[in-house]
Amino acid sequence: MTNYFDPRLPVTLLTGFLGSGKTTVLNQLLARPELADTAVIINEFGEIGIDHLLVEAVDENLRVLNSGCLCCTVRGDLIDTLCRLWVRRDRGEIPPFRRVLIETTGLADPAPALHTLMVDRDLVDYYRLDAVVTTIDAVNGEATLRNHPESIKQVAVADRLLLTKSDLAEPHVVANLSMRVKKINPTASVQHVSHGQVDAVDMFDCEAFDPLRKSDDVRSWLEQEKQRDLALQHRSGIHHHHDEPSRHEGRIRTHCVILDEPLEEAAFTHWLDVIAAMRGENLLRVKGLVRLAEHPDEPLVVHGVQHVFHPNRRLRAWPSSDRRTRLVFITNDLPLDQIVRTFEKFAGATLNNAHALS
Amino acid sequence: MSPNRANDSDLILVNGQIYTLDPACPWAEALAIRGGRIVAVGSEASVRAAMSPQTRIIDLRNKMAMPGIIDVHNHLFFAGRAALFETRFAPNLTLNEILDEVREAASKQPPDGWVIGGIWGSGLLSELTIQARHALDDAADGRPVMLRDDSHHNRWVNTAALRLAGIDLTTPDPANGEIVRDEVTGEATGLLLEAACALVEVAVAKAVAAAPQVDIDAGAYALRRLNAVGVTGTQEAFTTSPMLAALKALDEAGQLTAWVVGSMPVVEAPFAPGEWGEALFDLRETYRSPHFRPDAGKILLDGVPTTRTSAMLEPYLADDAHGCCFRGSTTLSVPQLARALSDCESRGIAVKIHCTGDGAVRAALDAVDILRSFNGPGLMHQIAHASFIHPDDIPRFAELNVAADLSPMLWFPGLIVEAIRATLPGERVDHYWPNRDLEESGALIAGGSDWPVVPDPSPWPGIQGMVTRQDPSGQFPGALWAEQALDLATVLRAYTINPARAMRIADITGSLEVGKSADLIVLDRNLFEISVHELAATKVLATYFEGNLVYEGQQ
Repeated sequence: MTNYFDPRLPVTLLTGFLGSGKTTVLNQLLARPELADTAVIINEFGEIGIDHLLVEAVDENLRVLNSGCLCCTVRGDLIDTLCRLWVRRDRGEIPPFRRVLIETTGLADPAPALHTLMVDRDLVDYYRLDAVVTTIDAVNGEATLRNHPESIKQVAVADRLLLTKSDLAEPHVVANLSMRVKKINPTASVQHVSHGQVDAVDMFDCEAFDPLRKSDDVRSWLEQEKQRDLALQHRSGIHHHHDEPSRHEGRIRTHCVILDEPLEEAAFTHWLDVIAAMRGENLLRVKGLVRLAEHPDEPLVVHGVQHVFHPNRRLRAWPSSDRRTRLVFITNDLPLDQIVRTFEKFAGATLNNAHALS
Repeated sequence: MSPNRANDSDLILVNGQIYTLDPACPWAEALAIRGGRIVAVGSEASVRAAMSPQTRIIDLRNKMAMPGIIDVHNHLFFAGRAALFETRFAPNLTLNEILDEVREAASKQPPDGWVIGGIWGSGLLSELTIQARHALDDAADGRPVMLRDDSHHNRWVNTAALRLAGIDLTTPDPANGEIVRDEVTGEATGLLLEAACALVEVAVAKAVAAAPQVDIDAGAYALRRLNAVGVTGTQEAFTTSPMLAALKALDEAGQLTAWVVGSMPVVEAPFAPGEWGEALFDLRETYRSPHFRPDAGKILLDGVPTTRTSAMLEPYLADDAHGCCFRGSTTLSVPQLARALSDCESRGIAVKIHCTGDGAVRAALDAVDILRSFNGPGLMHQIAHASFIHPDDIPRFAELNVAADLSPMLWFPGLIVEAIRATLPGERVDHYWPNRDLEESGALIAGGSDWPVVPDPSPWPGIQGMVTRQDPSGQFPGALWAEQALDLATVLRAYTINPARAMRIADITGSLEVGKSADLIVLDRNLFEISVHELAATKVLATYFEGNLVYEGQQ
């Protein structure tokens, strides 16, 4: 469904390591009637078992499933595929889908696909990035994080984390993994999934679950989540030695900046350009809302993945009574003092409330 | 105590007025050299104490000697190629006179050799039609021809050159350039403007690269000329990969008679397309040699004021093409430049940033500011042609550890200064080259020639002009911003130890101190005892590099 304030079609990117349960989740979703107005983009039809769902093959790349969902393979590149879909939709050749789900098989690094969706000139007029959903399997997840640094990045850029196979792992293992991924990415909402069952409402409209939109500040929200996980651990009655985070995870730090005083838009944007240019590779994810001096009632939405930031967009209203600037940085090897020092110098504000969250 | 054999010097210079550029001992009467290095400086007695029967003695006959000049900005290969292989003519020649020059030059070239030359006056632009191009073809008897204009930013080429450059009916104009075409047929006329020049310069570069001896000969020629004017160290200001190879080859042949620091292009630049950045940086250790250090980078942040391609803080004078409020622009944004500098710095490369406009100077300083804010202290980068500078930006050079490369010598009235008055308001041109403000703010100022943008690399007119702010040739009257004049001692620093510091060779040269390379020049006059108006006419009697006589003037 298009956002009232933004008429573009929302796109959800589904990512996750091999064996993380992504395919199972996708198969489940495709059979649901709620997906009727969704175009799903995958690599190959053979990868997912949709033959029994098939109603009509529109052409070799595009099929309509009996749920009404459009299933399409990537032809050329992602930009070509999305443009072609739009054109056909516009001409009435295919049903007027209202959202897109992209499944990134084999793409260990989601950043390039994200950058394309965020800033490509041909796409940004018609599509907007709604959310990144990352699957990570409860049984093998910790090993994956340890052995594959790319999986850490997938977790870091997620808005929503699906801990799949929760039914197959011990509760304390699930709780450990839950704490681990929240330490990497405190901004994502975490959902425990069993048998690949995910409700469509859990996949889409992720802004509703965005912790930054909540009225509590992020730190207290995280505290609540942490307590919940600890309770789960204790309830299981088993206390196991926690594996130390891997070397890669150890460098992942989340920093949070909260500011009461408003910022000048030009100065803040300049600082974003500067930190993106100088430290882009260390910024896995930046999310937040900024109170602007020029538009105190319309917060600036900040969303960046590495060195690419969404073009400046303002919300028509603050989502809650909390009108402070709050920014969360998920970083790799970037000390908080570099953020603070350069923010104060270039964005022109004194930071009293900047702290590491993990 | 009898002298120990191990302390014997190769050469001692006595009876001189040796200006050392060492503040602890500014004047000396004698100097001793062993193994190319200075082993003693001071009184004759102290230096003679290190003698043996084998030591050669040179009597300076009371002449002044000083450290060899260090030229912070020099294009040795472009200069050498122009002198040896290109045809030079004055910009007031008619079209037919130019064709005669081309005919003459072509007769000396092999059948497929390029005829390259310059400069033609911008007044000829309207005559460069298709017919003119055919006449150029005939004059060169089929050989490819490329002729540069007086701004060095445009080219007139013939049919063979267009073909070698890959220019045909369908070739699009590159960004910031134009392939001028006949209105009726759409055929390229042979006139290429601004960045379109790159298309034919690439073809020329290929021809040169195919004949590496060209650059070796060009480099050798340039070094001989530099030694003859007293230069013993220089920063090559745009060092491409054939040049890296030529410098190493020259060193291996014992012909690299000056310390050379190479400045490799960091990002793609239209005037010398080809390899840049990482592709060149990876070659550093292959081509590093005892006297050649490929440790600098080069970025062109803007153009030149005469073509309105300098990036200015305030608008140019209004004209039809640009309207009232045009300020030019930089080739990189400030964050992009900051990132480029950061990447270079992490590889130990200090960058020379060409900035002819005050807008570019500010952008470069802003970029260094960002770099320091993120990374802390680092290398001394340079702003080349630091000449239009806003007063607020003057103190930032010292604060940000950025050196001011003062080149070419335009700090007195002259032809180019007058040409700039056609594009910028007089009041701003009257405040061109704040050399003294920079010096007093604690900035490191370093002199250079930018040869062959000037026809000769001799520093002496530049030195006089920096002291008097008047045209050393006497051709142009008056002074340019006389308040910015500097005293002789400061100017000599700007041409010796300061460039050595900016180039990171101050540990080995730039002043006459024990342990440094014996790089010195003997002059025909004591610079401090003559009228300042005689500085430009200074003759170098002898140039020593590493204790070897590399130039001796005719007496």
